Amino acid sequence: MTDRVDGRLKVTGAATYAADNRLDRLAYGYLVTSTVARGTIVSMDTAAASKAPGVLAVYTPFDPLKLYRYTKEQNDELTPPLQDKNVRYFGQAIGLVVAETFEQARDAASLIQVRYDARPAAASFHDGLASATDPPSGSPISEVLAPGVGSIDDALNASEITVSATYTASMQNHNAMEPHPTVAAWDGDHLTLYTATQGVMLVVARIAEALGIDTSKIHVRNPYVGGGFGNKWGIWAHTPLTAAAARALGRPVKTALTREQTFTVVGHRPASQQTVSLGAARDGTLKAIKNDGVSSKSASNGFYEPVANLCLSMYASPNIRVSRKIVTLDVPVTTIMRAPQEANGSFALESAVDELAVKLGMDPLELRRKNDSPVVPSSGLPWSSKHLDECYRIGAERFGWSRRRPTPGAVTDGDWLVGLGMATATYGASRAQASVKVRLLAGGTAVVSGTGADLGTGQSTVWAILAAESLGIPVGRIRPDLGDSSSPVAANAGGSGSTSTNGPAVQLATEAAKTAMIALAVQDERSPFHGKAADSVRFEDGRLKAGDLSVPFGSLLTSLDVPGVEATATSAKNGDKTHGFRSFGAHFCEVRVNAWTGEPRVSRWLTVLDAGRIVNEKTARNQIIGGVVMGIGHALLEETRLEPATGRIANADLASYLVPVNADIPRIDVHFLDYPDTLLSPLGARGIGEFGIVGAAGAVANAIYNATGKRVRDLPITLEKLLT
Amino acid sequence: MHAFGFAAARTLPEALRLAAPDSAFLAGGTTLVDLMKLDVLTPDRVVDINRLPLRGIRSTRDGLRIGALERMSDVARHPAVHPVIAEALAQSASPQLRTMASIGGNLLQRTRCGYFRDVHTPCNRRQPGSGCPARTGDNRTHAVLGTSDACVATHPSDLAVALVALDASVRLVSHAGERLVRLAAFYRLPGDTPQVENDLRPGELITEVVVPRRPWARHSTYVKVRDRSSYEFALASAAVALDMRGGVIHEARVAAGGVGTVPWRLPAVEAALRGRPPTRASFEEAAASAADGARPLTENAFKVTLLKRTIVRALMSLEGGS
Repeated sequence: MTDRVDGRLKVTGAATYAADNRLDRLAYGYLVTSTVARGTIVSMDTAAASKAPGVLAVYTPFDPLKLYRYTKEQNDELTPPLQDKNVRYFGQAIGLVVAETFEQARDAASLIQVRYDARPAAASFHDGLASATDPPSGSPISEVLAPGVGSIDDALNASEITVSATYTASMQNHNAMEPHPTVAAWDGDHLTLYTATQGVMLVVARIAEALGIDTSKIHVRNPYVGGGFGNKWGIWAHTPLTAAAARALGRPVKTALTREQTFTVVGHRPASQQTVSLGAARDGTLKAIKNDGVSSKSASNGFYEPVANLCLSMYASPNIRVSRKIVTLDVPVTTIMRAPQEANGSFALESAVDELAVKLGMDPLELRRKNDSPVVPSSGLPWSSKHLDECYRIGAERFGWSRRRPTPGAVTDGDWLVGLGMATATYGASRAQASVKVRLLAGGTAVVSGTGADLGTGQSTVWAILAAESLGIPVGRIRPDLGDSSSPVAANAGGSGSTSTNGPAVQLATEAAKTAMIALAVQDERSPFHGKAADSVRFEDGRLKAGDLSVPFGSLLTSLDVPGVEATATSAKNGDKTHGFRSFGAHFCEVRVNAWTGEPRVSRWLTVLDAGRIVNEKTARNQIIGGVVMGIGHALLEETRLEPATGRIANADLASYLVPVNADIPRIDVHFLDYPDTLLSPLGARGIGEFGIVGAAGAVANAIYNATGKRVRDLPITLEKLLT
Repeated sequence: MHAFGFAAARTLPEALRLAAPDSAFLAGGTTLVDLMKLDVLTPDRVVDINRLPLRGIRSTRDGLRIGALERMSDVARHPAVHPVIAEALAQSASPQLRTMASIGGNLLQRTRCGYFRDVHTPCNRRQPGSGCPARTGDNRTHAVLGTSDACVATHPSDLAVALVALDASVRLVSHAGERLVRLAAFYRLPGDTPQVENDLRPGELITEVVVPRRPWARHSTYVKVRDRSSYEFALASAAVALDMRGGVIHEARVAAGGVGTVPWRLPAVEAALRGRPPTRASFEEAAASAADGARPLTENAFKVTLLKRTIVRALMSLEGGS
């Protein structure tokens, strides 16, 4: 249990977030955004804005900053801002005002008069479902059928028991605590960017392309990130605009999005619909799983959620078919958001399994145990390390699942109907290539550097722990250095891959640094280890040791008058094609629904999971709790309310876009099994960033059913859906 | 945010002298500053009244008197304050806001209607005659009672609902003198002039709230139903007080929030409760008329049922009806 290494800096305000970089002669940018959802900008009257106090420049499609076309999406959009007069969604960046102060820029922006030739916009996911189309790329269907089975529908028809229902979930916005800021400063032809991002190399790639400059001329720094959830993967309009404005004006510029702008400029989780059919034998053995998934997709880009895919990886079934369709809308950009596809996918599948349990008259936990699959259901490959049954068993014991009454409405507490629900949690695991540098310093400390990002996840602490472990020195003597594009290229923060990818690289680099230290010790004439065979010298407890000799590495460096020794190592990507890699766990919860007025409140929660080795239980627990809290919000509160008629987001602020407050969240118990997945890496850690949210909404919906007998298949489950 | 002048008054006469047609008084600032940032309110001058001696919470022969500058959090925990008022306050906003926001300001807070708060959209309340997108747009949280074709915005205050139930008045002071106005009469239905929200005259200031002396009204409660457990406005709320004598309801006070364009007193429900035993059947029968005249919109028809259930729940929790 190690405290966050950057915790003190963050709670005291000493951590320098992107917007905190107050550079000399800094000017301030403010985005102008569109107020129609589709059409052409006819004119923008900028006369008053240009003359407003403090204004340095007003950029519009009529007087743009040159940006080159993007050649590939990074979960964002292909079209650079201000290069054409088309409006593709409400809230699109159509201008940038730069002034001496933020307030002057904002006021001037409000003076700009925009005339549009507006066209009707398609903004209703519901209306578009009837004309959903195949996705722009990739196969629309994945199917596994047992020998001799003609189709998934044949398998369903042949099943003794079937359930079928349609589940929907609304569009969501990430709303990380830190809105998106970019600070850009030029020194000659060299650009330094301080910008909130899940990966500094993503910024380098996009900015090099958009501004037409060499990647070697770009330095991106972002050591601290105030939350991402997928929303800081894409490189959004304000970043290239700010860099280009700073170049044009010859002074540094900072543009920070407002909360309202973060609802439209930076993307959202698409809306989705899933029609799930399950076929089973009377004993509960699954015979067929079918899920027709539909996702909204912005007309501005290609990203959508293949929500049905999770069915390929969850429960044993000889017949599985998932399909993928999209509804293209004139709405802001669709992008990745915590567990894209799995968060919504698990809500539908875990609800459907619960419905099947009801129909079978079977305990839903027993039904899941019965269909637990030792292999990847769609490929037959064995799982690298799966301990789901133990999660179910421990969870049921700790939570008191056996006390659950199967009949809905059987338990009341005063005016409250009390129900228990559970669901399986899961998330895929991977290990990509990563490089990390470790530098041992004369003071006896060490720096671990790589381009990874800590979004508040604890990634820096993980690096410090792994390096400290290998060097045999206290964690406090390691300085993790993340978010700097001049470092070796490590994993961006996304897909729950930071620890599984960067962790092994930190271990390798530390070992390499120790080897380099020993090499110096035996080669340097002033060293007491001089002339010894390298393999006779050990690096233990922060010291070099050989026979009776034992010298701390820092002292040795000092005595040799050498400031430091460093090594960079690269950990290869996972080449194992013979296993499936995925984490599994189980959520258990108690939900209360007011018998009079229908509001649901979560009152108890336990999550038991196996994520491979847990490097730091304290921050890992925190990650799972965060995922569960977001899952409770997903289940009960979060909903981006898009006006079908206008394409405008009606609740673009945190007063009306509801996320849970502390009073909504009970104590959340988290229990890790901690079985290292040594087939994934010698470290054995899988990812935990997204794991916690998957299954959470399903568990809540199932508990609500157990409390009330009402099956709500549309998220969020607000009280009017429980009133009747 | 538009440029404005700022002045801090030390005395009531000075505050009234500093007030001008386009000025705004600043107390806690939790609504005013918010709406100024959004350009919804654009006063030429802001007059800080926080140093005025409009403080004190006192039980007097006339009733409970609460100075307009008392903070919500202080009023909520004062022993002389009726449970229905304390509970309404404790369930309002967040601790930070309750510590800043004044009682007078709370009663004058503006609607949370998203169209009122977004100057890029029409709104008859903000810009008379420009239209009301809420009637067909995003209206889940909007009013079903007291609405007009011009405006369907919900009155947001919990405190006002409790005070209207208890027949409270506000003392208003201006150059022209002083008057005491019943809170129920103070608020105006939107009608054709939704921009006129209340009876406050230009330059007039609320100096105190007076709750009539009525000992039985301590038998009261406030039930607030909302999407999350804290820091959220009511979808429906009920302020109820009962005068129980000999096992029957002698007198009742019932008002609702979250459903009306103004705090919504329910005299028909009160009348139906009089003389009845405090049973679930009595409560449900009385509450049946609560939403009479309701005009549900596209997304808020559930409030008709929710309102009735909220009233019954409040009465049940107060009287433990059988």
